[in-house]
Amino acid sequence: MIRLENVTKRYGETLAVDSLTLDIPAGEVCVLIGPSGCGKTTTLRMMNRLIEPTSGHIFVDEADVETLRPEQLRRGLGYAIQSVGLFPHLTVGENIVTVPKLLKWDKERMAARVEELLTLVGLAPSEYEGKYPRQLSGGEAQRVGVARALAADPPVLLMDEPFGAVDPLTRQRLQAEFVRIQRDLRKTVVFVTHDVDEAIRLADRIALMRGGRLQQYATPEEILDHPANKFVHDFMGADRALKRLGRVKVSDVMRTDVPTVDSSTRAADLRSRASCAEERFLYLVDGSGRLAGWFDCADLADGGGPESAMTSVDWRESAVASDASLKEALSRMLEFGFRSIAVVDGEGRLLGDVALPTIEAALGAGDTHVAAADGQGGARP
Amino acid sequence: MKRRWTGPLLAAAAAGAFAYVVSRQDWWAAALAGLFPSLPQTVFPTATVGELVIQHLEVVGISSALTIAIGVPLGIWVTRASGKDFREIVAAGVDFGQTFPPIAVLALMMPLLGFGFAPAIVALSLYGLFPVVSNTVAGLDAVPASVLDAARGMGMGRWRMLRAVEIPLASRVMMGGVRTSVIVNIGTATVAAATGAGGLGSPIFSGINLQNGAFVLEGAVAAALLAVIADAVLAQVEEALAPARA
Amino acid sequence: MGSAQSRRIDRVAAAGALIALAGCVWLPFAVSRANRIVAGVPAGIGSAGAPGYALALLAVLALVAALYPDRGRRPAFALASAAALAAILPWALGRSAVTLLAGAPAFARVSVGGGAWLTAAGAAVVWFAASQAASRRTLGYAAAGLVAASWALAFAFGGLDRLSLVMEYAVQRDLFWSAVGTHLSLVGISLGIALLIGVPLGVAASRVGLVRDVVLGVVGVIQTVPSLALLGLLVVPLSLLGLPGIGPLPGVIALTLYSLLPIVRDTYIGLAGVDPAIVDAGRGMGMSRLQLLLRVEAPLALPLMIEGTRAAAVTIIGIAAVVAFVGVGTLGVLVFLGWGQQADDLILLGALPMVVMAVVADGSLRWLGRAVVSPGLRGDLR
Repeated sequence: MIRLENVTKRYGETLAVDSLTLDIPAGEVCVLIGPSGCGKTTTLRMMNRLIEPTSGHIFVDEADVETLRPEQLRRGLGYAIQSVGLFPHLTVGENIVTVPKLLKWDKERMAARVEELLTLVGLAPSEYEGKYPRQLSGGEAQRVGVARALAADPPVLLMDEPFGAVDPLTRQRLQAEFVRIQRDLRKTVVFVTHDVDEAIRLADRIALMRGGRLQQYATPEEILDHPANKFVHDFMGADRALKRLGRVKVSDVMRTDVPTVDSSTRAADLRSRASCAEERFLYLVDGSGRLAGWFDCADLADGGGPESAMTSVDWRESAVASDASLKEALSRMLEFGFRSIAVVDGEGRLLGDVALPTIEAALGAGDTHVAAADGQGGARP
Repeated sequence: MKRRWTGPLLAAAAAGAFAYVVSRQDWWAAALAGLFPSLPQTVFPTATVGELVIQHLEVVGISSALTIAIGVPLGIWVTRASGKDFREIVAAGVDFGQTFPPIAVLALMMPLLGFGFAPAIVALSLYGLFPVVSNTVAGLDAVPASVLDAARGMGMGRWRMLRAVEIPLASRVMMGGVRTSVIVNIGTATVAAATGAGGLGSPIFSGINLQNGAFVLEGAVAAALLAVIADAVLAQVEEALAPARA
Repeated sequence: MGSAQSRRIDRVAAAGALIALAGCVWLPFAVSRANRIVAGVPAGIGSAGAPGYALALLAVLALVAALYPDRGRRPAFALASAAALAAILPWALGRSAVTLLAGAPAFARVSVGGGAWLTAAGAAVVWFAASQAASRRTLGYAAAGLVAASWALAFAFGGLDRLSLVMEYAVQRDLFWSAVGTHLSLVGISLGIALLIGVPLGVAASRVGLVRDVVLGVVGVIQTVPSLALLGLLVVPLSLLGLPGIGPLPGVIALTLYSLLPIVRDTYIGLAGVDPAIVDAGRGMGMSRLQLLLRVEAPLALPLMIEGTRAAAVTIIGIAAVVAFVGVGTLGVLVFLGWGQQADDLILLGALPMVVMAVVADGSLRWLGRAVVSPGLRGDLR
C-alpha cells in the first residue's frame, strides 16, 4: 500500500532520513519507533508531502506521491497528531467534517458521518457534536482527532504520537479502542511513537529507526526475540519477556468454564456446596451475570466464618477487560496480590478468568509462536 | 549574560549626529535655499533650528517630567491596598482618556486655561498620563505572585518589596508607557505651536500661512527626525531595563 | 485591610462628591463675555439661582451617600444623587445663561465655566462608583434615561439654548455639518485604503520573516513621525510628482499611513499567534494555503484585526483634525479658527464632536471585535 524507495531527507549537513526503504502492506499497522531525532516523524510527514524528500520515491497505492497535488494526496490520507490541532473556533462536528467539506460532500451525508464517527470513537453524538474543543478533556480531544482523520474514510491513516499527550490510563484506554476500531476497519496505518509498549501492543510490524537509518523492520515478536543488533536489543528493553505479554490478549487464553454462584446465595449455604471441594474460589455473579465478588473456600477450611470468606468487589476495579493484554492482567494481579483475576466484558459480565500458571504458559509458548511466525516470513532484518 | 552594544551605540550616535546637524544653521540654510530657489526667504527667521529644537524639547521635557512624576506614583498607588478602591475608576478613566484625540485634549484645555506655554504643558502632561498610568499598572500586575510570595517569605517589607522587586521587574513595561507618552507629546507639541507654545511647529504653521514650503519643510524634517531619534533612544532604554535573559 | 466591599465608606464616591462640590463652589460656574471673543468675566454658582444651589446641595448629598454606613442601600442612594446632579446641571447652566444675558447686548455670550465641567466630572465619578457597587443594572439604565430626558427638556424650556456653545453652533451650523461630513469621510476612506493595503501586508509579514522585519519597521517609524511633520514632508514629493501638496490627497495619504501600523501589526500578531499544530493539522488534512487562511487562520485572527482597526480609527479621528492645516475642511478647521480668534466655544464645537466620534468608534469596534469571536474561543465557555 505504501512503499518507500531509498528515501533520503537532508537538512544542510544533517541527514534526517538516510535512504530508507520500507514496504507497508495494506490493512496493517506499521509503527515507526526510535529515539527522538531518529527521523520517524520526518518519514511520516514525507508520506503526505508535508516535507519533501531530498531524494528517493514514495508510492501510495502504486502512485508516486510526487505526481499528485499535495492537497489531493492529503485528503486521501487521514492525519492525526499528538497536539491534535482541533480548530478551536469550530464545533466538534464541524471539525470532524473538515475533509468531507473540502471534498464537497452534501449536508446529510456529512451529518450522518459525524454521528457514525462519534459513535465509533465512543462519544455520544448528541452530547459531543455541538461542543467546542476547549470543552473536551485530553482523551476526548484525541478521540475527536482520530474521528476527524477517519472522516472521509481514507484507506490510509498517518498518526504522529496521537496518544502522546494524555495520561497513562487514558492512553491505555485509547489504545484498546484503537485496536477495536482497527479490527473492524482494517486501515493501513502508519503510527509514530516513542513508547515501546505502545508499539508492541498496536503494531503488526515495527520499523525501528536510529539516526535516520532503519535498524529493523519486523513483527513485534520477531523484534523481541531476534533483535537485529545491540541497539535494537537495548531499545526494546531488558523486560522483553514481559513485553511479549503485551501481544497476547486475555480473551485468547482465559479459562471460560469458571465456577460461579449467584451472589444472593447466603454464605452459610455455600459451606455445603460440592464445588468447594474442587475449586478454591467461587465467583459471585448477580442476576445479569455481572461480577459481584468471590467466595474463598480456603478461608472456610481455616475455620473462618462464611461471612469472612465472602468478598464483594466492584468489577471496574478488580477485574480486567477481555480485550486487555496479558501484561495488563499480570500487572493487575501483582497489584492486588491475586493469583488469578476475573475477566469481564464492557458491562461487567463475567467471561472467565486468568491464572498465573496460564501466564507462565503463555510466556513459554511465546517462543514457539514466534518460531511459527518466522516460518511465514515477512520479517526482514 | 551577553549585552549587545550595537543598538545603544547606534542610538547614541544618531542622537549625537542629530544634535550636531541642528546646530549647523548654515547647512539648513544652504539645503533649503537649494531646494526652493524661487522663494525669497527659505529659513524661518524668528529662531534657528537649534533654538526651535530646544524649545520643543523644553515643552516635551517639562510635560513628560510632570507626567512621570504624577503617573507613576498614581499607577503604583492604585495597585497598593490603600489605593485599591480607586483602581477601577482610574483604569476606566485611563481607557476613556486614551480614546480622546490628543488634539482634542489640547483644544479643550484652551478655554479653561487660556493660550500659550503653560496650558500646552498642562494639556500634554494630562494626555501623557494615560499610557504611563496604564503601563505602570500593567507592569506591576505582571509581576508573578510567586516572586512576591518569595519576597514576602524572605521578610521584605512592603516598601522594600516595591523598590527591590516590583519596580525592577515592572520597569520595562513602565518605560514602554513613558516612551509612548513622550512620542505622542513630541507630536502634539508640534500642533501646540499653533496655541503659542513655540517649538518646531512654529515654522510649519508660519510656512502654511505664508505659503512658504521651505519653512514647512524645515520644521517638518527637524520634528520628524527628533521624534524618530527620541523613539530609538527610548527603545534602547526600554531594552536595557529588560530583566536579564538566559 | 479592607476591600471596597468591607470599607465603611465608599472612598471613590466620596472623592467624586468632593470634586463635584469643588466645581460648585471653587471654580467659576459660567463665564460671560460682552461679545464672543473678548476676555470673559467669571460668574459663580449664584448666577444659576435655585438650580445652582440645588447642585451644591446635591453634591453634599452625594458625599453623605458615599459616607452612608448601610452598604446595601448606599449604591442606590449615591446613584440617585449622581443622576440628580447630572439632571439638574443643564437647568443650572440654562438659568445662568438667562440671568447673565438679561439686559446685555445682543453680542453678549455666556460660556460653560470650569466649575460646571468639574461638577459633571464629579457626578460621573460618583455614578461610576455607585454602578460598580450596585447589584442590578436596571437602576443605572433608568437613571441614564432620566438624565437624557432632562437635558432634552432643558434645551427646550430651560434656556440651555442661550449658551454660547449652542449659539456658536447656530451661527456655524453649515460649516459644522460639512466639517463633520468631511471628517468622517476622510477617516472612512483612509481606513478603507489602509485595510486594503494593511491586511495583505500583515498576511505577508506572517509568512516571510524579511517582509515582517521591513514592513513592521517602516510602519513603526511612520507612526512616530508627528502628524503635522508628516503632512509637511509630503509636500515636496507630491509636488515633484506634479500633485497638490495640500488638500484631500496628502490628507488621505497621511491618515492611511498612520492607520497602517496598528492594522498590519495586529493582523501579523493574530496570524502568527495561531497554534502551529492547528496549521499543521489543516495542511495535513489537505487544505490549500488559501483555504487554511480563509477557514482557519483568518477567523482566529479576526478579533485582533478588528482591534487594530479600532486603534487605527481612534488615532486618525484625532489626526484628521490636523489635516485641516493643509486645507481640508475637517473639524480641525473649527478648532484652529477658534484658536486664531481665541473663541473658546468655536474650539469646543470642533473638539467635542471629535471626542464623540472617537468614543463611538472605540465602543462600536470593541463590540464588533467581541462579537466575531467564535463561541469556541470565548472565556465564558463551560
